[in-house]
Amino acid sequence: MSNQITINADIAKGTINRNIYGHFSEHLGRCIYEGFWVGEDSVIPNTKGIRNDVVEALKKLNIPVLRWPGGCFADEYHWKDGIGPSEERKRMINTHWGGVVENNHFGTHEFLLLCEQLGCEPYISGNVGSGTVQEMSEWVEYMTFDGVSPMAELREKNGREKPWKLKYFGVGNENWGCGGNMRPEYYADLYRRYQTYVRNYGDNEIYRIACGPNVDDYKWMEVLMREAAGKMDGISLHYYTVPKDWQDKGAATGFPEDEWALTLRKALWMEELITKHSAIMDQYDPEKRVGLIVDEWGTWFNTEPGTNPGFLYQQNSIRDALVAGLTLHIFHDHCDRVQMANIAQIVNVLQSVILTEGEKMLLTPTYHIFDMFKVHQDAELLDTHTTSARYEHGDELLPQISVSASKAADGKIHISLCNLDHSAEADVSIALRGLTQGLKTIKGTVLSGAAIDSHNTFEQPNAVEPAAFTSFTWDGAQVSAKLPAMSVTVLELIEQ
Amino acid sequence: MKPGMDRSARNCKGCDDSYTVTEAQIQRILAAPMFQSSERCVDDEVYAARLRECGSCPKLMSGTTCIVCGCIVQISAKYKEKSCPNPNDVRWRSVASH
Repeated sequence: MSNQITINADIAKGTINRNIYGHFSEHLGRCIYEGFWVGEDSVIPNTKGIRNDVVEALKKLNIPVLRWPGGCFADEYHWKDGIGPSEERKRMINTHWGGVVENNHFGTHEFLLLCEQLGCEPYISGNVGSGTVQEMSEWVEYMTFDGVSPMAELREKNGREKPWKLKYFGVGNENWGCGGNMRPEYYADLYRRYQTYVRNYGDNEIYRIACGPNVDDYKWMEVLMREAAGKMDGISLHYYTVPKDWQDKGAATGFPEDEWALTLRKALWMEELITKHSAIMDQYDPEKRVGLIVDEWGTWFNTEPGTNPGFLYQQNSIRDALVAGLTLHIFHDHCDRVQMANIAQIVNVLQSVILTEGEKMLLTPTYHIFDMFKVHQDAELLDTHTTSARYEHGDELLPQISVSASKAADGKIHISLCNLDHSAEADVSIALRGLTQGLKTIKGTVLSGAAIDSHNTFEQPNAVEPAAFTSFTWDGAQVSAKLPAMSVTVLELIEQ
Repeated sequence: MKPGMDRSARNCKGCDDSYTVTEAQIQRILAAPMFQSSERCVDDEVYAARLRECGSCPKLMSGTTCIVCGCIVQISAKYKEKSCPNPNDVRWRSVASH
């Protein structure tokens, strides 16, 4: 059975918010320190302590937004520890993750400088679990108040006269777990209280994000929306793709064939989660004013053997690329509700786009997906209908392909296609209707691997990288393509 | 078990015991056959010398972890092909690999 796709180029279903392509950075393992921050004295080329190679690679992705400082770390983070002369900053133990000494050399100024270097919006997670209302209120004042105030004066004393622009602010993180083990009713009240003091100063308008549910905790979503929907702009959702279970998650590479399909099935569960959570949100917010913010997602495997397990360092293979492609397609499909998503985590932790080791750096298969898919940012989602062949392996039965199409402001149409089958090519027929003019050119890019765990290493950093895709023919508005096994392909179509 | 029905996922992920490094874990890994291979591993003398270098390095955390690369040094120091990952303070140079 072949795969039949119909794309209605004249029916737009909404805008794919560029923030769906956001990233997450936590003070965890080597994400911040060594990943971004090496200090000005390092032999690794850096600008004001932030390594240049990582910034350059990330700028190519057009990263829209970066979430910081956690994660679980956020609800133990006291921002005043991370400002002022670095040698005077408080040292502490990061008890959540591996017992690393936190010297607070990377704090508010450094994070906002990083965002300036990346050209992205900062998304800051405030501390509800162990912090005070005053502390959170003063942090916002410190960053955004333009005028005479105690926090503005403190900011100026620390070398920054003008306030920063800050749009995205999370009021707590995982408050059902590491952020205080709260019940939803209790957190809902705390959220109402804390967000009151997250002020808009001058013309800086903050988009307030409430801590939403863990995975399929529909009660949490129900309570938060019922009690606080009118006081939030967004609500978060966290879901990680764990192939097996939390005790033995499965390996990032060298995994048995069965875990390929199992992993993809679990990644596809995101569709059900968003659909059901959105249905609850619809009851309280039928106009879809409140955004669903999937601010932690991605694969979570057993850490690499021989590394500190608290650092959550894992390899990243072509399987991760498929998880990324599938998940981004699901976010596209729900672009009326999903307004931001942040993959966990940007460097050296979980499903990273970059790995570093000393002065070495590599781009992972997931990096290449974000690079290939960046054309969807801010584009109009096109109405697409797919009849997919079946992909059966063991007990798993999945659709063979996943498709998403969008039209950019410059008129180009982009079609991304995932072939989930780890062993078979996919024959695809695409019927395009509603074109303004006939097709002029089509070009393609594909990412695939020679094995189900193909990945990049510091010895072979380009083992998995995008290649030109030419296995297609087209005639008028009909495209036929043959997708390699376990691949992600992006086609660019230009009308005459 | 269906995803999401795993109750442990609702607890603090970072407090899980599996995120701690224990001597027993290190010894269990070092007992694997690959670490008995003279083709892949340095001899005992080089191993001890490497660990002495790591022992005085400010980038060593809790006696086990190199915070530059995240590895457990008692394990990585075994590999012939491994080198010190810290470009600011390269170690193991004076230590022959075999």
